[in-house]
Amino acid sequence: MAQRHVRVLSKVGLHARPAALFVQTATKAPMEVTVAKPGKDPVNAKSILAVLGLDVRHGEEITITVEGEGDAERLLDELEAAVNVEAESA
Amino acid sequence: MTRVLSPVSGRVVGLAGVPDPVFAQAMVGPGTAVDPVRAPGEAIAPVNGTLVKLHPHAYVVVDERGHGVLVHLGVDTVHLKGEGFELLAAEGEEVTAGRPLVRWNPARIEAGGRSPVTAVVALDATAEALVDVRESGEVEKGAELFSWP
Repeated sequence: MAQRHVRVLSKVGLHARPAALFVQTATKAPMEVTVAKPGKDPVNAKSILAVLGLDVRHGEEITITVEGEGDAERLLDELEAAVNVEAESA
Repeated sequence: MTRVLSPVSGRVVGLAGVPDPVFAQAMVGPGTAVDPVRAPGEAIAPVNGTLVKLHPHAYVVVDERGHGVLVHLGVDTVHLKGEGFELLAAEGEEVTAGRPLVRWNPARIEAGGRSPVTAVVALDATAEALVDVRESGEVEKGAELFSWP
């Protein structure tokens, strides 16, 4: 199992383009992928319904978990990039 | 069979007619879109089900079969932070198809420099899963836009 905490820097949070890219990226991977907000149950990262329902806002931290055979670190890199595809420059 | 109703009256333009590539390229999911009449109105629930998400500019209703339908009122309207939208229901409520959920004015959205084109998207569905998707023509609020077996 590989896990990464990611702060959501995109202004719209994990909605719209970041959410769509995130789910597309997760769906392409053979591994199981979940995403969670602190203190909440993880949801299936391959479901746009579940991810939109998670309602992650700008500045919140999420935990992405990858389980199964495959290059988990590379997938986490891609997922992190998707989350922050519209990150505001600091 | 999930029958998905038009949340607004207007002209059907298809997802390709949404001036936002996220919707136009069906990245969020398959469906269609309606260019609404430029008059104050109330956007309705597209299906019977649970109102799992209610933002001022967008909402998701999940029916008893687990089919989630996203209605997104206008493009980049998240940045309005709710201004110009009045919520007529509460998140988590059970709603019937046709129930008014958000009061808004597409003319006002347009006057603010944004498109009021409203996307209606089937979540976690493939394009092949939808049947009889309308892509053009006038539509009355509450008329069927597509069905989802």
